[in-house]
Amino acid sequence: MNVNGRSEQFPAQPNELLVERLRDGLGLTGTKVGCDTGQCGSCVVRLDGKSVKSCLILTVSAAGSEVTTIEGVTTPGGELTGLQEALREEHGTQCGFCTPGMVMALGELVDSTAGGEAPTEPEIREWLTGNLCRCTGYHSVVRGVQRACEAARQEV
Amino acid sequence: MTAVTGETPTTGSGLLGQPLDIREDPQLLRGEATYVGDIDLPGTAHMAILGSPVAHAKILSIETKAAEQLPGVLKVATAADFTDVMPLPCIWIPGGVESHFPPHPYGLPGARPVLTGDAVRHVGDPIAVVVAETPRQAHAALAAISVEYEPLSVVTRADEALAEGAPQLHEAVPGNLNAYWTCGDKDRTDAAIAEAEVTVELDLVNQRTINSPIEPRGAVGDYNAVTGEYTLYASTQGPHNHRFLLSALVLGIPFNKLRVIAPTVGGSFGTKGYLYPDMPLVLLLSKALGRPVKWVDTRTGLMNSTVQGRDHRQHVTLAGTRDGRITAVRATSYANLGAYPSTIGPGVATALMGRSISGMYDIPAAFCEVYAAFTNTVSLGAQRGSGRAEAAFLMERLVDRYASEIGMDPAAVRRKNLVPKEKFPYDNGLGWTYDSGNYQLNFDKAIALSGYADMAARKAEARTRGKRLGVGLATYVAICGVGPSTRMSQEGMLGGTWESANIRVHPTGEVSVTVGSASTGQSHGTVFAQVAADELGIDPDTVQVFEGDTQKAPYGQGTYGSRSYSMAAPAVALTARKIKAKLVRAGAVFLGVPEDKVVYEGGKVHEEGNEENSKTFAELAMAMWYGWGLPPEIEPALDETTHFDPPDFNYPFGTHVAVVEVDELTGETEVVAYTAVDDAGNIGNPKIVHGQIEGSIVHGLGQALMEIAEYAEDGQLISSDLNHYALPRAADVPFFVLDKTVTPSPHNPLGAKGAGEIATVPPAAAVVNAVVDALSDLGVRHIDMPLTPEKVWRRLRGEAR
Repeated sequence: MNVNGRSEQFPAQPNELLVERLRDGLGLTGTKVGCDTGQCGSCVVRLDGKSVKSCLILTVSAAGSEVTTIEGVTTPGGELTGLQEALREEHGTQCGFCTPGMVMALGELVDSTAGGEAPTEPEIREWLTGNLCRCTGYHSVVRGVQRACEAARQEV
Repeated sequence: MTAVTGETPTTGSGLLGQPLDIREDPQLLRGEATYVGDIDLPGTAHMAILGSPVAHAKILSIETKAAEQLPGVLKVATAADFTDVMPLPCIWIPGGVESHFPPHPYGLPGARPVLTGDAVRHVGDPIAVVVAETPRQAHAALAAISVEYEPLSVVTRADEALAEGAPQLHEAVPGNLNAYWTCGDKDRTDAAIAEAEVTVELDLVNQRTINSPIEPRGAVGDYNAVTGEYTLYASTQGPHNHRFLLSALVLGIPFNKLRVIAPTVGGSFGTKGYLYPDMPLVLLLSKALGRPVKWVDTRTGLMNSTVQGRDHRQHVTLAGTRDGRITAVRATSYANLGAYPSTIGPGVATALMGRSISGMYDIPAAFCEVYAAFTNTVSLGAQRGSGRAEAAFLMERLVDRYASEIGMDPAAVRRKNLVPKEKFPYDNGLGWTYDSGNYQLNFDKAIALSGYADMAARKAEARTRGKRLGVGLATYVAICGVGPSTRMSQEGMLGGTWESANIRVHPTGEVSVTVGSASTGQSHGTVFAQVAADELGIDPDTVQVFEGDTQKAPYGQGTYGSRSYSMAAPAVALTARKIKAKLVRAGAVFLGVPEDKVVYEGGKVHEEGNEENSKTFAELAMAMWYGWGLPPEIEPALDETTHFDPPDFNYPFGTHVAVVEVDELTGETEVVAYTAVDDAGNIGNPKIVHGQIEGSIVHGLGQALMEIAEYAEDGQLISSDLNHYALPRAADVPFFVLDKTVTPSPHNPLGAKGAGEIATVPPAAAVVNAVVDALSDLGVRHIDMPLTPEKVWRRLRGEAR
C-alpha cells in the first residue's frame, strides 16, 4: 500500500488491523486507539481520500490503496493546514487524544466544501458524530470547522 | 503596567485574563504528542491482565502451565508470585476510626491486592498477568489460563449490600459497611422538619457513570538493574502522588529509587489519579524479566477496572415556609464504593458530597448522613464534578419540588434563599466556609440571559409543533482548591495536599518554570507561562513550563478537583515574586541606589524617578549568573521555589438554565438552549476555561440524558464498551450561551477559584428539572436519570415511575 506518499511493502497477517500496521508496524503513532469497537473515531485515517476507522479495517483489505494518516497531513513541526489552523484558533482540542482522528475525518468535509456551499452547523455536527471527544464538548471543534470551511469556500 | 517597589510586589503586568493562543495545540493537531501507548522503549515486552469473568466467587485453583507454553510468552504470574508486595492502600478515610476496610499489613485502613488470590469480587478483578513478546501473544495466552471458581451470591447496590443476609465481600468488613458518616446538625434539622409549614421528599438514584477519557489507561515499567532505579511511565493525573504511594506503601523501595513520568495524558476527569494494580505490576515484572514491560488497556478493560463515579441512592427532605423560605434540608444516602476502597473513593462519596448539599442557599438547618457500602462492582472514585454534582442534583431537585408544592416560581424560590453577599465568609453548617460570592448578581445574570421571562410563550409555541418545552434551573457551589493540608487531615486525607513551583532564570534571560502539577489536557504549558510572565513583566514566549516527571519537578499532588490554577499557579506567582524581590535587592547594588529607591516594572529595574538608570530582565539574569560584585547576603543566580498551602478551600459557583423540548410521540429529549453563568474568580486564560466549561456542560448533559453503568443482577457490567455505554456526540448538544461573574477568592494571590470541572456540577439537575417541568401537567414529579426516550415516553403515556 501507499502510506503518506510512500510505498510500503510487507507481509500482512490475515487478521491484522490497519491501525496495528500503522502504529506498530510503521511507527505512525499519530493514529490513536480509543475504543476497539469503531465508536470513538480516534483511529480515523483517509483511505483513497475517504475517512475510515482504521480499527475496523483489515490491513489486507487496504492492499493497493492510498492511506493518509495524520503524519501525512503536515511535516513534523511544520505549517498547519487550514483546518488545523482554524482548530488552533478556536482551541478545538484539550487533551488531544481524539484530535488526529478528528482532523482526518473533518478534513474530508472541509475539502468537499472547496468552491461550493459551506456546510450548515447541523451538517457539521452530523459529520462529527463518528468522533467522540470528552474534553471540549465539541463546540470549539464545530466553530473551527465553520471557520475552515468558510476559508476553503472563499479560496476557490 | 503597575509599579512594584521594595519587597512587597503585588500585581502583574496585565497578561492574565488574556486569551493567549494555546501553545500545546499545534503539536496535538499534528498528532505529534507522545501518550503512554506511543512509548516504545528498546526490548519492550507486553503485559495483559486476566480479569475475573464473574462478579463474586472463591478461587479454588489457577492453572497457568498451558499459557506458559504458548509462543512468545515470557511470564505468567498470579497472586502467589507477589506475596511480598503490599496491597494498594486507601488514603482518604472519611469516617476515621469508625471506618471498616479490608486490612492492610502496614496498619493502613484500606487495601486491594495487586492480584486477587482468594476470591474475586467484581467482574474484571485482576487474577493473573501474562507478559509476552507482543500484545497479541499476551492477550491470546490469557485464554489458556484456567481458573476454578466456587460461585458466591452477588450484590451490586449499596442499600441491598447493607441489608440482612446480603452477600459478604470482606471478612474484616461486617455487613459490607465501610462507614456511617454524617455532617451538619441532626437534631436541629429534624426539629425544623417536624415544625415546618411545608415538607417535600424525594427518592433519588444518582446513577453510576463511567468517566470515559478517550485514552484508556496505560503503564510502562522500566527497571534499571545497574542503578536499582525503577521508572514508571503512566497515564496519570498525579505522578508525584503515585510515586509516594508506590514506593513507600506498596513496593517498599526508597522514594528516590522510583521515578514516575506522566507523558501526554489523554484526558482523565478524575479517574487517572488512582493507584491501580497494573502500576506496581509493570515495575515488578520489568525487574523480573530484565526488560521494559508495557501495558495498555482496552476500552472494555477500562470499563471493568478504572474507577467509576456517582452512584448514590438517596432519600432527601426539604422543609420550608408557605412563602418560599427554606428552613431545613436533610439527606440520607447509600453510597456504592464498589468491591474495594479506591485510593480516595470513600472521601468522594462522603465529604465532597455531604458537605455540599445546601449549595448557594442560606439554610438554617442541614444534615447529611452517608452509608458507604462495598458491593460486587468496580471501585468507586472521582468523576468530573465528583461529590459536588451529586449534591447539587439532590438540592436542585428538592427546590423545584418545593416550588411546585407551594405554587411558586422556581426562580423566585431560589432568589429568595441565596446566601446574601454580606454574609461572606459564610459557614454553611455542613463543614464548608464559603470564601466569597455574589450569588444574586450571578443568578440574575443567568435568568436575564436565558430569556426566562419568555418561557410561557415558548412553551405554547412548542406545543403547536408536537413538542413539550420545559425549563430547568440549577445553581451550585463547588468546593475547589484541594487543599489546605491541615483542613484535609481533618477530612481524613493521609497526605500533603500542597503544590509547589520552581522558577529558574537562565543567564540568557529565558525562564524555566517547573511545577509539581501535571496536565491531562488543561494547557498548563500555556497558562503557567502566562502567570510567570505576567508577574515578571516579560514575554511569555521566553518562558517554558515543565511538569510530569518526578525526577525533575518539585513535589505536588497533581491535577484533580479543579486545583491547578488555584493551587499550582499561585505557587508560580509567589515564586516569581521571590525572583522580583531578589532582583530589587540586587538592583540596588547594580544601580548604585538604596533598595527603597529601586522600582521593578515592565521586566526592568530602574531607579525611582530616573528610568535612565535601569537594567533589563535579561541584563539582570546575566549579572546574577556572573555573580560579580554581589554582597555576601545576596546569593548569585535566580532559582526559587515555593510550596503553596492555602489557608482554606475556594468556592466557585454559578447558575445554569436548560431549555428542553420533549417529543410527545417519541419521548426524545432535545436540549434546545443552555445558558451558563459561572464564577471561577479571576481567570488566567479564558480560552482554556471557556473550553473546559463547554466540555463540562456536555459531560453533565451526558449523565442526565444517556450515561449509565448498568449492572445485571449477576454483577455483569452490561455497558462494558462504547456500543453499550452512550457518550454525548456533537449532534446531541446545541451551542451554549456562556457568561461569567468574577468574585476573586481571598485564599490565593491570584484570586483564582477552581474552573476545570465546575460546569459539570449543575447540568444534570437543570435538565431533569426541565424535563419534569415539561411533563408536570401529567402529574410527573420526578424521573430517574438517564432520561432515555423510552423512559420519558412511558411517562408521557402515564405509566408510573
